[in-house]
Amino acid sequence: MLKVQEIREIIKLIDESSIHEFTYETDGSKIEMKKIGETLAVQAAPQVVAPAITPVQENVAEITNEHTNDKAAKESVTVTEQSAEKTSASDYDYEIVSPMVGTFYSSPNPESDAYVKVGSKVDPDTVVCIVEAMKLFNEIEAEKSGEIVEVLADNGELVEYGQPLFRVKTK
Amino acid sequence: MEPTRNRLIDLLAENTDTYISGQTLSDQLEISRSAVWKHMKELEKDGYQIEGKPRKGYRIISFPEKVSANTVQWGLTTDWLGTTMIHRTTIDSTQVLAHKLAQEGAPHGTVVIADEQTNGRGRMERPWNSKLHKGIWMSMVLRPSLPPHQAPQLTLLTATVLADVLQRKLNQSLYIKWPNDILIGNKKVSGILTELQAEQDRIQYMVIGIGMNVLHQEGDIPEELWHKASSLLLETGTSIQIKPLIQEILAAFEPTYAAYMKQGFAPIKRKWEQFGFRLNESIHIRTFQKEWDATFLGIADDGALLVTDSAGKPEKLYSAEIDWFHEAD
Repeated sequence: MLKVQEIREIIKLIDESSIHEFTYETDGSKIEMKKIGETLAVQAAPQVVAPAITPVQENVAEITNEHTNDKAAKESVTVTEQSAEKTSASDYDYEIVSPMVGTFYSSPNPESDAYVKVGSKVDPDTVVCIVEAMKLFNEIEAEKSGEIVEVLADNGELVEYGQPLFRVKTK
Repeated sequence: MEPTRNRLIDLLAENTDTYISGQTLSDQLEISRSAVWKHMKELEKDGYQIEGKPRKGYRIISFPEKVSANTVQWGLTTDWLGTTMIHRTTIDSTQVLAHKLAQEGAPHGTVVIADEQTNGRGRMERPWNSKLHKGIWMSMVLRPSLPPHQAPQLTLLTATVLADVLQRKLNQSLYIKWPNDILIGNKKVSGILTELQAEQDRIQYMVIGIGMNVLHQEGDIPEELWHKASSLLLETGTSIQIKPLIQEILAAFEPTYAAYMKQGFAPIKRKWEQFGFRLNESIHIRTFQKEWDATFLGIADDGALLVTDSAGKPEKLYSAEIDWFHEAD
């Protein structure tokens, strides 16, 4: 049986890939994942990847038990509940907020990749974005260890003082 | 710099007509004669010319124009700004070294200066051309007790300091393009890059970088920048020496900063507006949502840009793309 961590890892990998369907079978347990709806369109715009997690994770719940082994059934049920809890987009316990009014930039310059995206692991000193005000580019750090579960601002958007920018599941 | 070396220069400078014996220097500085000799050798590396005569002693023949921690600190009138000073002939970027030093705990007022930057940069990692001995390439580490959202005001403050110093030196009108570029004849001669390390409610440190094109001649500026970048020499015909200019900027910055920490932004705002480029004129503004022609009204009490909105009412902007050279239709 796969561990919750391993399932999460698979979800992440599939989420980032172009794979639509994924099936994994071992020791009497089977995991099926499917991307549904607008997943592809969502992937084209990395800053709004967050909603994609929900459909993928719902499919994780389709873990089927082909054997009537009680123990395995129990395990898979437990796994289902845990993974649903751990990866839900709304499941966060910390918000990174903007310390000033300014423009939100997700990357250090237009040619670079975003500092972080949904699923990125962060440490307290990981730079997650820049907020620019009056040509001062303020690198915002995560301030907590954990995982980004939601990106709340678009690149180039004007953000207010105290406005939440990211949701983080701390560890 | 080492205080001993500074005092050695002082002693030699007081006695340029006569020789001062190695023993006297050793007594006054409370170091051995061989230590005196070692300091002399270091000063010679910085371009001081020191004459030594047997049985007479030492005499300073000339002071260098060269920039070094020693030469800039000698004659610098500040209390804390530049007390810790690092000079490099060549560096990738003074800003990068200043960040590194700040993270390692460098004190408030640490200054990093270079004769040349091989990878100087402006905002958004845009390259900043920083040729050898042609300008000021300098970064200051500051640790103000301010909330992060006030940090941009120090950029505007720095711009007023540069404008003030340059106006004293040059008999030429100059402007500050919001928030911080110094323009002469519609061309940029100096830029400021402020970077911040902050927590939610307090600044850990700031690095204020100053790039100033001083002695560039036409060939020193890339052709693609000719329409918008220039140097003090090109725009005014005056060759300003770099070392005293650095000293004046530091000497002017320190009290302005102290006054700001005590009295707030109001005096800076007034000063800034005296230099405001395109004040009460038409500019073109583009933000995330919209685009319009506006009148530039000045700056707000916190340094933000004040312009007219599309209905003609005042609007405060913290961030926008602005075409300053826009001609009203």
